[in-house]
Amino acid sequence: MDDYRKYVSKHYNRLLEQCKVRLDEVEREYPEPREDFQALLKARGISRRSFLKWTGVMTTALMLPPIFKPMVARAAENFSRIPVIWLHFAECTGCSEAILRSSYPNVDDILLETISLEYHETLMAAAGYQAEKCLEEAMEHFAGKYVCVIEGAIPRGLNGQYLRLGPKGETGLALGKRVVSKAAMTISLGACAVWGGIPAASPNPTDCVGASKALGVSTVNIAGCPPNEVNFVGTLLHFIMFGSMPPRDGEGRPLWAYGKRVHDFCERRPHYDAGEFVEEWGDEGAKKGWCLYKVGCKGPYTFANCPHLRFNDHMSWPVMAGHGCIGCTERGFWDTMAPYEKPIQEAAIGGGERTIDNIGIILTAATAAGVAAHGVYTAIRKKDKNQEEQKQEERE
Amino acid sequence: MEHYVAPLKHWTVAMRINHWAMAISIFVLIATGFLIAYPVTISKGETWLKFSVGEIRFWHLFFGVLLTFLFIWRLYLAFFSRFHADWKDLFAFLNIKDLIHQIKFYLLIEKEGPPHRGLYGPMQSLAYLGLFGLIFLIIITGLILMGAGYHAGITAFIYSILKPVERLLGGLAMVRYIHHVLTWCFVLFIVVHVYMAFWYDAVLKEGTLSSMVSGYMFKKEGH
Repeated sequence: MDDYRKYVSKHYNRLLEQCKVRLDEVEREYPEPREDFQALLKARGISRRSFLKWTGVMTTALMLPPIFKPMVARAAENFSRIPVIWLHFAECTGCSEAILRSSYPNVDDILLETISLEYHETLMAAAGYQAEKCLEEAMEHFAGKYVCVIEGAIPRGLNGQYLRLGPKGETGLALGKRVVSKAAMTISLGACAVWGGIPAASPNPTDCVGASKALGVSTVNIAGCPPNEVNFVGTLLHFIMFGSMPPRDGEGRPLWAYGKRVHDFCERRPHYDAGEFVEEWGDEGAKKGWCLYKVGCKGPYTFANCPHLRFNDHMSWPVMAGHGCIGCTERGFWDTMAPYEKPIQEAAIGGGERTIDNIGIILTAATAAGVAAHGVYTAIRKKDKNQEEQKQEERE
Repeated sequence: MEHYVAPLKHWTVAMRINHWAMAISIFVLIATGFLIAYPVTISKGETWLKFSVGEIRFWHLFFGVLLTFLFIWRLYLAFFSRFHADWKDLFAFLNIKDLIHQIKFYLLIEKEGPPHRGLYGPMQSLAYLGLFGLIFLIIITGLILMGAGYHAGITAFIYSILKPVERLLGGLAMVRYIHHVLTWCFVLFIVVHVYMAFWYDAVLKEGTLSSMVSGYMFKKEGH
């Protein structure tokens, strides 16, 4: 055990050193922060105590030990140094909305306010050729340093012509490839950018796919529809602190955020094990806050930190509000998670009401009827055979 | 009994124990599996005193792991049984002539089946090989689903190996769906398997049904 502790402390101390070196590099290489973060916090009425609490939460969320708290604070102060180019493709801008809007400013929101957005199609004042110029300048000026955030799926059909952007009518595919090629790190934000999401749902006439597949680059996938702002801020903080992508799972999602299953950390889980289920909306169980598995909760198949972090100022999340999880952080979201208000095995096959259980029951009944008919026929044949034998015997 | 010669040893003790243990496991697994897919709501009583779905899941996992070991044992017997390693018999369906003859016999077109060449007939070998495939797939999907919920020990280790398979199949939701579809294949297999055992017993009168208990089959003198 002592050896283990020694090893762990050695490992983290080495990581801390790396982090310090990286932060020095950021402070040296990247432009000065646009605003003094501490002054901004004071102006917005965030006390030092609240800020320290936030660093604690963020350090824990990133699954780092408490010795990293000062580093997280330092990274937060340098947050607005990192230039960000934000691209919108086939999507609803819901991810931007989810990240930018909140009822009162907390540290995450202030961080996102100070973010050095070089190019964001929804938020920037510039338009047309002016906007194009902003993008060109940012790409030239911060080549190899900026973070590219992609929101939305990329249509590949007709060589990408289903989506054209900007004054020159560039296809999304071409724009994405151009911007990503010079980025230090690419973040796919939201289900659409990660796996195509709703634009890629069947029948997918525009051949939408996620950014990583369309552009052929490795991305940090902040899955979710919309994703949690903490996961996005944490990934950027990780980039500032370590200069690299956070450790990711097989789907490219940061392990610190998507390493655990919703079902295992759900506040309604005890009701699942106790056999207490909501049978229909508004029944006694729904009023008592029982498990939503039978009304289609996909929590058992979904990896995300929603139960921990929640949404809207960490106030609530879908299951808390009384609707099951719809599995928006998972591969093939929309098609594989349907139906949303029934358990997964009640998915319709080929449209209509045909489910696997209906097919199974019909096949079993048909097989039973078939073997019964077979048995009856065998018996009749046997009887005939016996009669023939009897007749033969009589003749003899 | 003048029509019959001395009974012939057909199934070893290991095979018989394996068969019935598997049968019990599969029945329990189908029952508990459907109870997990369609859990029963228990409205009365305090939440903390109830653990119905937890218990059902426990027994499902218990028999699932049992089935895994029984399957490994069955594979061992197929290759290394000291009495009759039957892996060659499982490929009896490769004899196309026999296969067609057997199908005709089952469809009651032919009066006599093809001669017994091994432990299994051609259709029988196909069915059992299919069953082995089914068990393999349902064990793999089951281990993934088990690993997603239990993060310790050998379960976690197996899950870390099977994680790419989970990705390949398209996420846990698809794994869960495939697991459910495979259950129906088992139900269909059981219906046909039980009927065929009775049918053979009635038609050939060689003691097919009791052979899985006693281990002996009987042969008519003329054969």
